[in-house]
Order: sequence, then structure tokens, then C-alpha cells
Amino acid sequence: MAELRFLYRLGLLLWVSACCAANNAIADDTLVLLPGEIKLSGPQAYQTILLEESRGGQYVGQATEGLTFESSNPQVVTIDDGVARPTGNGQATITVKAGARSATATVTVSDMDKTFHWSFRNHVESVLAKAGCSSGACHGAQAGKNGFRLSLRGYDPEGDFNTVTRQARGRRIVPSDPGRSLILTKPTGAVPHKGGLRFRVNSLEYRVLADWIAAGTPPPTPDDPRLERLEILPAASVLKPEARQQLVVLAHFNDGHIEDVTRWAKFTSTNESVAQVGELGEVKVMGYGEGAVTAWYLSRVVTATVTSPFPTPVPSEVFARAERRNFIDEFVLAKLASLSIPPSAPASDSEFLRRSFLDTVGVLPTADEARAFLQDPSPDKRDKLIESLLERPEFVDYWAYKWSDLLLVNSEKLRPPAMWAYYTWIRNQVEANTPWDEFARQIITAKGSTLENGATNFFVLHQDAPDVTETTTVAFLGMSVNCARCHNHPLEKWTNNQYYAMANLYARVKLKAAPGDGNTIVFAATEGDLIQPLTGKPQTPTPLDGRPISLDSPEDRRQHLAAWLTSPENPYFSRAVTNRVWANFFGVGLVEMVDDMRLTNPASNEELLGAAARFLVDNKFDLKPLMRAILQSKTYQRSSQPLAENKSDARFYSRYYPRRLMAEVLLDAMSQVTGAPTQFGDYPLGWRALQLPDASVDSYFLKTFGRPERIITCECERTAEPTMVQVLHISNGNSLNDKLQAKGNHLEHLLAAGAPDDKLIEEAYLSAFSRLPTDEEKSRLVAVLAEPGQDKRQVLEDLYWSVLSSREFLFNH
Amino acid sequence: MLQITGKGSTQTCDGLTRRDFLQAGTLGAIGLSLADLAAAEAQGKVAPGHDDRSVIMIFNLGAPSQIDTWDPKPDAPIEIRGPFKPIKTNSPAIEISEIFPRMAQHADKLSLVRSCFHTAAAVHDTGHQMMQTGRLFTGGINTPHAGCVLSYLRGRKSDLPAHVILPEPMGRTGGNMPHGQDAGFLGKAHDPFALMADPSQPNFRVPDLLPPAQIGEARLDRRRRLRSIVDDAVKNFEASDSAQLLDSNFQAAFRLMTSTQAREAFDLTKEPQPVRDRYGMTRFGQSCLLARRLIESGVRFVTVNTFITVFDEITWDIHGSKPFTSIEGMRDIVAPMYDQAYSALLEDLAQRGMLGNTLVCNLAEFGRTPRVNPAGGRDHWPQVWTCHFAGGGVQGGRVVGRSDPIGGVPAERPVEPSEVVATIYRSLGLDLETKLPGPQSRPFPLVDFGKHEIKELF
Repeated sequence: MAELRFLYRLGLLLWVSACCAANNAIADDTLVLLPGEIKLSGPQAYQTILLEESRGGQYVGQATEGLTFESSNPQVVTIDDGVARPTGNGQATITVKAGARSATATVTVSDMDKTFHWSFRNHVESVLAKAGCSSGACHGAQAGKNGFRLSLRGYDPEGDFNTVTRQARGRRIVPSDPGRSLILTKPTGAVPHKGGLRFRVNSLEYRVLADWIAAGTPPPTPDDPRLERLEILPAASVLKPEARQQLVVLAHFNDGHIEDVTRWAKFTSTNESVAQVGELGEVKVMGYGEGAVTAWYLSRVVTATVTSPFPTPVPSEVFARAERRNFIDEFVLAKLASLSIPPSAPASDSEFLRRSFLDTVGVLPTADEARAFLQDPSPDKRDKLIESLLERPEFVDYWAYKWSDLLLVNSEKLRPPAMWAYYTWIRNQVEANTPWDEFARQIITAKGSTLENGATNFFVLHQDAPDVTETTTVAFLGMSVNCARCHNHPLEKWTNNQYYAMANLYARVKLKAAPGDGNTIVFAATEGDLIQPLTGKPQTPTPLDGRPISLDSPEDRRQHLAAWLTSPENPYFSRAVTNRVWANFFGVGLVEMVDDMRLTNPASNEELLGAAARFLVDNKFDLKPLMRAILQSKTYQRSSQPLAENKSDARFYSRYYPRRLMAEVLLDAMSQVTGAPTQFGDYPLGWRALQLPDASVDSYFLKTFGRPERIITCECERTAEPTMVQVLHISNGNSLNDKLQAKGNHLEHLLAAGAPDDKLIEEAYLSAFSRLPTDEEKSRLVAVLAEPGQDKRQVLEDLYWSVLSSREFLFNH
Repeated sequence: MLQITGKGSTQTCDGLTRRDFLQAGTLGAIGLSLADLAAAEAQGKVAPGHDDRSVIMIFNLGAPSQIDTWDPKPDAPIEIRGPFKPIKTNSPAIEISEIFPRMAQHADKLSLVRSCFHTAAAVHDTGHQMMQTGRLFTGGINTPHAGCVLSYLRGRKSDLPAHVILPEPMGRTGGNMPHGQDAGFLGKAHDPFALMADPSQPNFRVPDLLPPAQIGEARLDRRRRLRSIVDDAVKNFEASDSAQLLDSNFQAAFRLMTSTQAREAFDLTKEPQPVRDRYGMTRFGQSCLLARRLIESGVRFVTVNTFITVFDEITWDIHGSKPFTSIEGMRDIVAPMYDQAYSALLEDLAQRGMLGNTLVCNLAEFGRTPRVNPAGGRDHWPQVWTCHFAGGGVQGGRVVGRSDPIGGVPAERPVEPSEVVATIYRSLGLDLETKLPGPQSRPFPLVDFGKHEIKELF
């Protein structure tokens, strides 16, 4: 059987690689039963069966009409309304027929002779969670509801057991007459309940609670089977709008048994404009694109992908012929093909030049640089440009600025000497091209004087263990664990215990004042623990899902944390920084937002993110090879001009997405094009915005255009949305108008050199757009410039104003 | 002649002014898309009822304590009722906290809803979303603020934007979630215009509203002509929402810059000093006065945030500990400022005969714990709080709903955020069945099926 499946997969692979050439064939439509191997343990077990249309190894729709079900041995299993139920131990085969076609699944039934009890940990808690009893709006609230408090979605079975069976003078449970228990009379509406009707008397939910009470309310025990993993079926499907698809969630327990928990899973959709999901896992496809549906059960989550290809068919040659430079192009084109989105044409030299400058070093090419690049006939000039960008001094400014955003370098919170030390440390790492794992390790294990080892300021900014834990996970894992500070994370697998186990790794970091302005000594004490408030005891220090270290180990616990964090085996670490770098170049992260990476928020192209993260690990966390691969890819080198068929794509990289220049880059670009630098506070004139070490330097322009305040680590602090206030500032404000008027600026030099109108226009276009004007543009502009009775300087100022307020300038495209 | 002026514009096709010419030029320059035109046309097709209606939404960011303000519980134990006593008002049905002595003289103009509640997480941001858009943001769908819905459906009435936020949009309140103060899925083109300045400052002006002195009319005109040529070339932006938005921003900005009406509406020095003093020379007071001036000049919806953040500012967020506010901070600073400005606004609108057509609604994201906490403050409590409404067809002097004896849960007529937003739409004369173009052009109802306005108010 296993061998067969292997062969099937191999065939699938071959087929998939062949499919790009020979576009589909209805002939190989088959029907598949899910799950293919059914295991039913004990008399209460059941399994919902799905019949799926399969085409080329993809599930393309659920068959629901005219089905007949057949069991090879009704003494083992029977099927009723698409649900298999056990009748006796043994093996059997289920066959489903739809017209002339059919599909089969094997069934193994066991444990029918064992006595069965619903367990509090796995079943009662599931019922209370699904019925909403332990939700945050009801009894799962921090303060409970009307004197009845459950843990949020049942993360604390021991506590909940106590609450249900012992509190309220035991009225919640009536062992002699289960039906009179408040836990049954309230949710069924037999007695008034502010939460309304939650389930009915004849439901499975009612039966679970009633049977559990009748069995003598067995408590949760350490031997209860524990949930090991969830499985969702079908995990990926390709569907059309209006299609419906039932999802099935299987819980695999550590004793090997499997339960169909679809009924008790909580479903959410990450993109409701593509797919909506009902309470019981029924998906309805709403539009085109890709969506993910998440199922939550007993603090675990699992995700199913729903792909809805765009309606216009795209010939497979489009994807087959598209140029590929490296793995990025392979994965992007495969995704585009699956969604039927054609890629845009390649970008022109001037588009690529301007874009790669802005994205890699945060400055515009000068008019001379643009001219030289456009005139260079060599075929590898783009590769040469990429290499030179990665080595330019502005590269250090730009990436030091980026990481200073991430690490919150800020003189509001740090004394100036400390702020400088912190910034200089970051800058030195960028300059030395320190690999990202080393960069992270040095920060989270930093010790010594804040003035001598700038990295230690991380611990001055975040002084308590929970705070530094939360910042560490956001900055280096792109993940927010804040929710788990009070209760199990509702969207992630992290529990309240794991949170405190992780935070305890920082419990011994201490600060002491030292002589000198802003000088503090950061050191690791040899004792001290963080108390988990729920238990009143410290948790064994453990990095999230890593290995624990002993509570009395005297080593600096941060070394253990750093080893786990930066390990090549830690998928979160490499994915997070890969996604940050990716988002820098493409404007849209593979996971959006870049600070919101979690299981329930999958990447728009998981295979690509996985491959890119592996690439980074293979290159020993040196970020430059990743940047090079991105810059060299045909994906990055695509035009931003949309096609009719890829206009609505904003996630799959069928074209380059135009975006407004970031505040600092925009202001520097205005200074460069006009030749009139911006004066920042006491900094020397000519110091660029991207060279500012900290975000608290006063600037109306930077504030208005969305410079982050560096208060919390979150890319969301920076905004790139154009607003009317920005437009008013460009039009009427002093930032641009003063530069145009400034004495000794480029405009003045150009006039002094006596350049004719068409040369003035060329110069403006080359310096702002990295391209020459078209003949039409030139002639239309010359006509305005040549109008009689105008002041030459003012006309030139107005020409530059129109160039610097145009979208071609304000946007990176 | 193409004119994108929206419903209710006083401009006509004949009698073309220079500004009209510039607008048409701007349209070309900015390449207003056909979709925009369709939207603009659609704006004229909406049911014309109550087109004279407008809204001032005061959002009490931070969330006032219901018991210490509009829903006193004098008979509850001291740890519940808190330090303040109730006072009588000029409406027999209403008693309010002693911290609002001026409002006590205007209670006949307003009606209280003492049974608002929501069931989402007790963080500020969720309440902001629900109270201003009627829905919690889920599944990646950000629903639009009521004022942005109005802006979308009716367009601008004058040179001024249809929806203005004073003094600036909500900032950090701890949840790192959107606050529901923008147009969400309707697109950024329908975002409100945010003032971004403090109108109580002596040198207050709208930042960059006027061109610098050296740029006269002739240069302004030349700049626009040049820009229209330069910006003509690029087709790369037609699929970029952000780039299209910049277009519409330039269009709106040019209109604002060249409008005398706009300039005057924002000029608070046109108000006699006694009027300014009556509102109070505070950021909130002068925002309320500016809101009245803007409504007079044709703005349809003004959102006034009493505060911008709950951190390191004295606000309604009375946890009792730093960086939040103490109960005394509310009594000594927040309440007097609020009492003065709010009473001035109702008095002023009534005296000018504007109250009948202007709904003033006072919202908040939740209430506060009935029990005073160990720090002497009160924490977040979405289970019940009070919202209040005046004008715009709402009858004054009523109390709708009731909280239980400790101000802990609704005891009668629970009211959800969607009903509050439906009340705003109904006051504006919008049909609740109207469908907005939702994500992927799916019809999206103004409010969820089965939700209605709070009928008892009208």
C-alpha cells in the first residue's frame, strides 16, 4: 500500500512537471475518498467521508449528488448519510459510487470491546469551547461571567474541572440526576441563561456532558490521551466561485487513535473575499485568488488552502516561456500558473535602475549615473549594477536605518550617548556584513556597558522579562506572543505556560547604573526567576518549542535562548528575516504583515518562502546572497505596468507593485534632485535623513509622510499611504518650495550654465525618473517653458515642482 | 463640461469660473478613472431624503466610566458608586453625575442610551472599530467608518471634503489594531480629511492650506499645466490603489487650496472671542467650535476625537495608574473641558437653528468596571456603558435602556454597536438596505441583516 502511494506520488510529480506543457485533460479526472484510510476506535467514534473530484493530483470539487455508499462488511462499519460508524472490530472497505465512477477507502475498527468514557480534557472542554461557553465574550473572560469563570477556550483543564465540579456549591453538577445539572439546564435554556441557547437536549454536545456526569465526572488525568497533531481534509483544493466544500478535521492523539473533531473545531477564514467558512466547516468560495481556512481545536491549529484561479484562461506557454533566473522565478511562476495570472513584461533598464537603487540603498541614481547605465551596452550590466549597489556606502546607511527601526533606536528613550552607541553598533554590523544569526545572538546575549557595547541598550529599552520576550519574538521571529501573557494564544499554538517558560530565560538580566551620561551595565545574575501568575511558580526556562534548561543551571540562560533562536533548524527565525528582506524589495511580504507571522496567517507562496529561508540558511545567514538572488530574479525585474489579466493581483508578484517612497528616502531624493540639502536640527548640513541615527529628530515632512516613532517593534508604525495632508505639504509646504528657491541649488547651476530648455528638461527627467523624456513630453514641456514674459528661474522651479510632485517621482515603480 | 462636484453642489455648467477650469484641467492631469466617474455619478443617484442632514460624532476615546458620568448608581455600595453624587437636570427623566454641571442645563436636548454593550475583546481598538463602522474587523475585511460611507454615498456638498476628522485620527491605544476611522474597503479616496493641528493654538491654521506668497495665481496655473504633462506619461499606476489615491488627493487638495469658502470655514479668528471662550480654549473645545463652522460650510460629517491616545495624556481611561489617568484627573481636567465644550456645542447649534438637522452623537468604545480597582480607578468593561444622542431628529430628554443596579450589565433593551451606527444612518435618511461595493465587488449592506436603528430615540 505504502509503495503504491509512493508510485502514485511519483506519477503525480511527473504529471505536474509535464502539465505545464500539456494543459490539463478532463480524462484523468478521478474520484477520491477522504480520508483514504479510516480508523475508528471505540463505539462513539465516527468519521465523515468526503468524495472529491481529483484532477492532476489536485482536489477540484466535492461530489455530493447521487452518491451511493457501500460497506464490504456491515459487521465492521456502516455508513449513514456520509458518516461511517463502527459496528465491530475488524477491517472493511467502503465504496462510494457516483454514476459509473467509484472510489474506495479502507476502514479499521478497534477498541469496540473497551468501555468508553468521554474525557474532560478532550471532550468536555471541546464542547464548552465550541458552544462558546469558554469564549472571551462569555465565561472565558478574564473575570468570568455571572460568577462562572472558565479558562479561555479551555486551556486549563485542571482549573476548569475544579470550577465545574466544585464551585457554586456543586450545583453545576447533579450526579444523581445529570439532567438537572446547571451545566446542562443553562445552555439548553431549561433555566434562564443570559448567554441564550447554546445546544439542544438531543445533541451530541448534550450527550457528551450528560454521559460524563453519569460516569461520575472523571477528572482530567496525566494519562489522558494528548492531542499530537491536527489534520485537515482536503488540505488544499482548487475551486471556482460559488463552489462549496466541506472540510474535515482529524485529531491524532498520542495513543495512536484518531477522532473526527470537525464538529468541535472552530473555523476562521483569513481572506473572506476568496472563501467564507461556516460553523461546521463548510467552505463557500466567494471570489478569485487564494484563501486559507484555519481550524482550531484544543489549542492547536491547522490550515487548509483554497485556490480559486482567475477566470480568464492563460495559455500554458506563457508560463513555460517566461524567463527564469533562479528558484524565485520557478516558485512565482508556478503559483501564477495555478491561479491563471499572467506575468507582466520585463522592466526597462531605467525602471530597473531606479528601482534597484531605491530598494537596495535608498537613494536615486544621479543624472550622470543614469546616463552611464542607460548607455552601457554590456549584456551583464544589471548584474554588475547589483554587485556595486551591495557594496556602496549608502547600503550601510539604508540597512542600518532599517534595523534601527526594528530595534527602536530612539533618543526619547535613551540618553544621547547611549543612543549613539546603539546606532553605531548596528551600523558597524551592517558595514561588516555580520550574518543575521550572529547579529541576533549578540543582541540577545549582550552584556557590559551601554556605551561600550551598544547592543546592550536593547535591555535598557525593554527592562522586564515579558517585555523583552515580546520584542525578541516580534523582531527576530516576526511573531507576536503577547496574547499568551494572560492565556493560551487564541491564534497560535503558544500556551500561557510556554510564554512564561520563554520569558523566564530573561529573568536574570539585570541593570546597574554606572558613571557617565547614559551609562548602564547590563549583566546576567546567577539567580532569580519569573513567576507564572497562574501557578505561582516559575516555569522551567524553555525557548517556546525548544528544549528546557534546569532552573538551577548557573549559566547565562540567554546563551541557551540564542542557540535555539538562531539555530538553522528554527524555522521561525530564518523565515522572519527572509520575509522582512523580501518585503523590502517587493513592498508586499510573502507573509503580510511582516510582524504577524503565525500558523493561521500563511504565506501567499509557502513553497517560495520555505525555499528562500533555506537559501538563507545555506548561505549561513549572510543576507547579501538573498538580496542578490532577489535583485537578479526575473520576478523582481518585471515591469510595474499591469496587464488586464493581472491588474487585481496584489499578492503573487505577477508584476512589480508601485509604492510611495518611504518618508526618509523621499526627502533625500528631493534634496538630491534639487541640490538643496535638508537641515536636521544640529546635524551638519548635508547629513541625509537616512543617516539620522534616531527617529526623534524633528521634521514635519518626515512625520507627515509616515516615519515610525520607534516605540514598539512593528512595521505597522511606518505608513506609506498618500494623504491629502502630504499633498498639501508638497504643494504649499516649505520642504519642497524652499529647496526649489534655495541659493546655489542645481537649478541655479543649470541656468548659469545656460542650458537650453530641452537640456533642462532632460536633466530633470534623468535625475528624478532615471530616464530621458519622450519627444512628445519634451515638445509639450518646451512649449510651456518658452511662453513669453516669464521669469526663467521661476519657470525652472515650476518645472521641477511638477516633476517632483508627479507620481513617477513619488512612487517606486 | 465634466464636473465632479457631487450631489448638492451649487455649481452649474454655465457660468464657468476660473476654478472650474482648473478643476477640469486637474481631472485630465490626474487621469481620473472611469470607475471614479461612475462612483461620482452613483453619488447623485442615492435617495435624496435628508440631504440637509449632517453629523458631529464625538468619540470619547479612552472610554468614560458609565457610573461616574451618565449612569450614576447612588444606591450601590461605595466601592461601586464611586466618589461622585448624582445631580438633577432640566429634564425630569435624567439624572447625571455632578462632574457635568453645565450639561445638566441641556439634558432636555439629548437622550441617553444606558444599555450599550459589546462582546469583543476588551481592548480599546475593537470598540473603536465596532462603534464607528458597526462591525468588528474580521477575515481581513475592514469596514468603513459611518462618515466615510456617507462620503461615498453622497459625495461632497461644497469645496470642503464630505468627512473631516478633528483634530487628528486616533493614535495608539494599545491593541495595535485599526481604529475604524477610515473608509476601509471603500478605498482610501473616501478617507476623511484629517486636520492634523490643534485649533486652540494661538497661531492655528490648517497646515499648508495656502500656497506660499511667492506662488501667485499665474504660477499655480503653470505648475498645474506642467504637472499634467509630466504625470500624463505613466500607465504603471492604473492598478495601484495607492497611486490612484494620490490622484484623488491632488484633486481634493487643489480644490481646497483654491476655495475661499474652505479658507474661511477653517478660520477660527472669524469667531468672536466670547464664542470661542464659551467652548473653552482647549483642543477639544475649539474642535467642537470648528466642527460647527465646518457643518455650516457644507461638511456632511465631522468626527471629533476627544483624545488621540490613552498613553501619557489625561483622558477618560481611568485605570488609576500610570501611564493612564486617575479618577481625580478625570474630575479635574477631562470633565470640565468636556462639560464646557459639549454644552456650548448643543447651545450654539440650538440657537442657530442647526440642531434639528445636525445629529450630535457621543460614543465610546466601552464602559468601565463597576467596582473601583485597588488603584482607585476603573478598568475596561464592554458589558455595559452609555451613549448619547442629540439633534438630527432625535427627541431630547429620554432614557433608552437601563443597566442593572451596579451598572454591570444591561437590564433592559441591550443595544449593540451595529444599532448605534444604524441610528446614525437613519438620522441621515440613508436606507439601511443600501448595498456598498464590498471586497471583490460583493454587495455589502450598510448594517448586518436584521439590525435597526434605536427607534425609541426618534
